Amino acid sequence: MIFILIIILFANIQAQTNDPNEIVKSVITKFSQVNDYEVDIDIKVDVEFLRVPESRAKLFFKQPDKVKLKSEGFALLPKDGIDFSPSSIIKGNYTAIFERKENLNGVQTSVVKIVPINENTNIILSTIWVDDKNSIIRKVESTTKTQGTYTLELFYDNDFKYPLPKQMIFSFNLDKMNLPQTFTNTTPKSSRRRFKDGPVIGKVYVNYSNYKVNKNLSDKIFEEDKD
Amino acid sequence: MLDLISIELYKIFKKWRTYIGFIALGVLVPLIHIAMVLEGKNTINFMTRNIQESFVFVGNLLNTYLISYIILTSLAIHIPFLITLVAGDLLAGEATSGTYRLLITRPISRTKLIIVKFIAGWIYTNLLVFWLAFLSLVVGYFIFGTGELLIIDGQMIVIFERTDVLWRFLLAYGFATLGMTAVASLAFLFSSLVENSIGPIISTMAIIIVFVILSAIQVEFFQNIKPYFFTTHIMSWRLFFEDPLDLKEIFKSAANLLAHIVVFFGLTLFIFKKKDILS
Repeated sequence: MIFILIIILFANIQAQTNDPNEIVKSVITKFSQVNDYEVDIDIKVDVEFLRVPESRAKLFFKQPDKVKLKSEGFALLPKDGIDFSPSSIIKGNYTAIFERKENLNGVQTSVVKIVPINENTNIILSTIWVDDKNSIIRKVESTTKTQGTYTLELFYDNDFKYPLPKQMIFSFNLDKMNLPQTFTNTTPKSSRRRFKDGPVIGKVYVNYSNYKVNKNLSDKIFEEDKD
Repeated sequence: MLDLISIELYKIFKKWRTYIGFIALGVLVPLIHIAMVLEGKNTINFMTRNIQESFVFVGNLLNTYLISYIILTSLAIHIPFLITLVAGDLLAGEATSGTYRLLITRPISRTKLIIVKFIAGWIYTNLLVFWLAFLSLVVGYFIFGTGELLIIDGQMIVIFERTDVLWRFLLAYGFATLGMTAVASLAFLFSSLVENSIGPIISTMAIIIVFVILSAIQVEFFQNIKPYFFTTHIMSWRLFFEDPLDLKEIFKSAANLLAHIVVFFGLTLFIFKKKDILS
């Protein structure tokens, strides 16, 4: 009798952990302990036709979706990678489908597909890899209507207090840009330079450090700069 | 020698035409600054509209470096005209005013006279480029401040760190001076042939315009001879805005311009030494 009860209980737990809505909810609940944060970021852009120096900036976040990038110099982040909060990745109405269990870089994850129901969203389909033990997103792969496919990989400290990553790698496909020919610096080398046809793979590496979490950030920080 | 150069400089700056270049730049560059204050954000948006589709960025891209770069791009083929106004008059002006004979009866050799006049013309050329640099970079600094430099390098967007830009500009202006000296040398050569400065000015500009047009024609024959035109290398200051620097190309361009300067100066010297002064 006890044996049967254990089997039923175990089966129930398995069913719960394979419930995609529960998995998504657990991630959002886990992240809800972060009301706001401020973090220093180091950005390295690796795109064939975009040469940008490594930069430092500050990123501010406040629930539910306020994000602000500030830097004394020039800093650039992918639009889809600036906010890694679950509510940003999984926004609007959606249908969640449990795909499989997968060992991702030594971490047991549940792979869940998110299909947005709202037609206005730019995302067609997202796949998220959720850390079963910590209820955090380890990886996101999204296919968009206009920007192709991008992948977001999130890496965390082993003993993190808040579900905030220490590093993000944002990979994306980008079509060659039709650049305006005004003010173009045409030199013999640039005239000879030819990029291969088709979309190119770009990567942006973002390292996060010096998190200041739940310091009750003012809304003024998120207002548009008046310049 | 220094006294002779001072005398030549005095003669140059005694003529009002010398100031046309300074006045033209003094009006034009502030006008560009005003336009950039009013419309600069649109220019930045135009240049970065493709990046903005995929990226969020912050920083002051509308800064003195970008504006100086735009000004240098726009003016590098127009400044030669301002240079020829003076360089074309260096020798022909003496003929026009009837002072040739008086000048070469002085106890200085014709060689020395040519060298002194060339150096004076070179100093004027340097001053004009320096004036352009001052107006663009220094005045621009007080209006727009500094920041990263965004340029479109062929099919690439390149952003230089603000600490990585000033030296590039200093070398670019230095190189622009070399290019303008080649123009001055050509005008100086024509100036030795005629007795009116209009001829050297028009001839020099005609040669520059013809070379620029031929360079722009996408026919293999012209593209093959394009590297030998000095006008091709006048714009080689742009090589300093590549990362990494293409030193081979820089030296090749510098050598080409220097060779033109030496040949034009040598021909001037040869012609002037053989010249029968009749005026």
